[in-house]
Amino acid sequence: MKALLIRNLKVYFRDKASVFFSLLGVLIIFMLYLLFLGDVWISNLPGVPGARALMDSWIISGLLAVTSVTTVMGAFGTMVDDRAHKIIKDFDASPVSRSKIVAGYELSSFVVGTVMSLFALVLGELYIVARGGLWLSPAAMLTVVGLILLSALCNTALVSFVISFFKSQNAFSTASSLLGTLVGFLTGIYMPVGMMPDAVQVLIKVFPVSHAALLLRQTIMAVPLTQTFAGAPEAMRQSFESEMGIVFQWGGSPMSAATSLGILIGASLLFYGLSILQFSRKSR
Amino acid sequence: MDKIIEVTGLTKAYGNVQAVRGLDFYVERGKLFAFLGPNGAGKSTTIDILCTILAPDGGEVRVDGHRLGKEDAAIRNTIGVVFQDHLLDPLLTVEENIRTRAGLYGMGGHQLQQAVQNAAQIADVTEFLRRPYGKLSGGQKRRADIARALVNTPQVLFLDEPTTGLDPQTRKGVWESIRALQRDTGLTVFLTTHYMEEAAEADYVIVIDHGEIAARGTPTALKAEYASDQLRLAPSDEPALLAALAAQGLSGTCVAGAVVVKLAATMDALAILQHVQDYIKGFEVLNGTMDDAFIGITGREIRE
Repeated sequence: MKALLIRNLKVYFRDKASVFFSLLGVLIIFMLYLLFLGDVWISNLPGVPGARALMDSWIISGLLAVTSVTTVMGAFGTMVDDRAHKIIKDFDASPVSRSKIVAGYELSSFVVGTVMSLFALVLGELYIVARGGLWLSPAAMLTVVGLILLSALCNTALVSFVISFFKSQNAFSTASSLLGTLVGFLTGIYMPVGMMPDAVQVLIKVFPVSHAALLLRQTIMAVPLTQTFAGAPEAMRQSFESEMGIVFQWGGSPMSAATSLGILIGASLLFYGLSILQFSRKSR
Repeated sequence: MDKIIEVTGLTKAYGNVQAVRGLDFYVERGKLFAFLGPNGAGKSTTIDILCTILAPDGGEVRVDGHRLGKEDAAIRNTIGVVFQDHLLDPLLTVEENIRTRAGLYGMGGHQLQQAVQNAAQIADVTEFLRRPYGKLSGGQKRRADIARALVNTPQVLFLDEPTTGLDPQTRKGVWESIRALQRDTGLTVFLTTHYMEEAAEADYVIVIDHGEIAARGTPTALKAEYASDQLRLAPSDEPALLAALAAQGLSGTCVAGAVVVKLAATMDALAILQHVQDYIKGFEVLNGTMDDAFIGITGREIRE
């Protein structure tokens, strides 16, 4: 399995175009933010101290969540290509079991998602600091790394399940560009959660990736939030947090971070189980 | 006799299409074995089954004593496969490709390094080990495929139409490497091919058609049985020649100014020539080819 892991990673990172395209969704959001979205949001917070730093860390948190999804999806492209080009035959004729082959794809996608998110985290931090923001504290940094690992795990399970339904490269690339676009909405990056209609809000709140975005926001925005809302009434901070998807409201009360963490772990287990079912059903 | 592959009653259907209908054959250790047949005859299906990629519907297969379906991992350790398509990673170098595949056999460290070097040397790919596989020519790719298949030092090397799609010169080069490999290492080679001149060099040939064995034997035996030799006569007096042939109970066909007589045996030509020598300017005896044998067996020409 180690051999397959190394091979899959080499194949993914050697294809510069596919690495770029798996980051394209993230780059587009970032460009839009730099060009005008950021200014629009900041103009909605007139007279709020540190609004720029606050929104910078907000967008970086969301981008980290999206990077994880799109790069995991991109890495799984290797599996789809291998099936389409029959490379899988070569593995099947070698003494490795089907489950190890699948595990090899999953493991490499997890590694790709983690590495690319860590890379995005470094760039994001550099950006925040370059714009006059503060470095994350070591403890917060550790939490973020932990969240990156968890979200890569959850996305690997999720994509592994989704991908088991696709046979052709075309279906896969359509699905991945669709997901790449949708994920920006579903994590409330294009538009803050509070601005969405109620039905969409429910959808967002059950989508596991948005909980990764939420937890990342809670960690990365902790300091800027405290600074901005230092002298403001508590209700004002709460309404900002619900509006921007930093805290989800469910049935009138705020969801705890532990609940979001539980949802991420639960979704990882659920989708991993389902994808195993799918693959074993197919190989028979 | 040492049978490295034994197949009994092998069947496989795809839906209503019976691809393989009860094949029985064996392959002797150390021989070059050719599996010949028109497209859709069941060649690739059979090779996929023997390589453990495809499960048969019925029958028993043993490879180097290991039973298919029970000891697949052992079979996979014993065999090397060169597939019809080029199945290595185009963006990785030849060396990276062979190395990663070697890892699939549980090799590591020095052993892996040694195995990669050996395979590269035997398949003659050392010159372009550091070039990306996708940038190689067709012949080089094929050599790299062979190096990959040899990395676990297999007992049997399966080649599914290894020279199809190569230009004639490259094809000759690749074919010669395969021949030399089999000769020098004593490796058993199981090959499917479209090319008669390749099948003619095999130690043993099985012709399959419609999923069944249509003929089997050494190339010499198959030619003797299914391809008749021809006596081509250049007439000095054509009507008299035809009359003389008819008097012997033979019929000649006129082809482009020559009269062609089919021979049951090559030596029959001597007797015929004595009877007709006054009416001819010259003659030649053409040996039956594998092509003729193939047409004789399947009733059609092989398609490329």
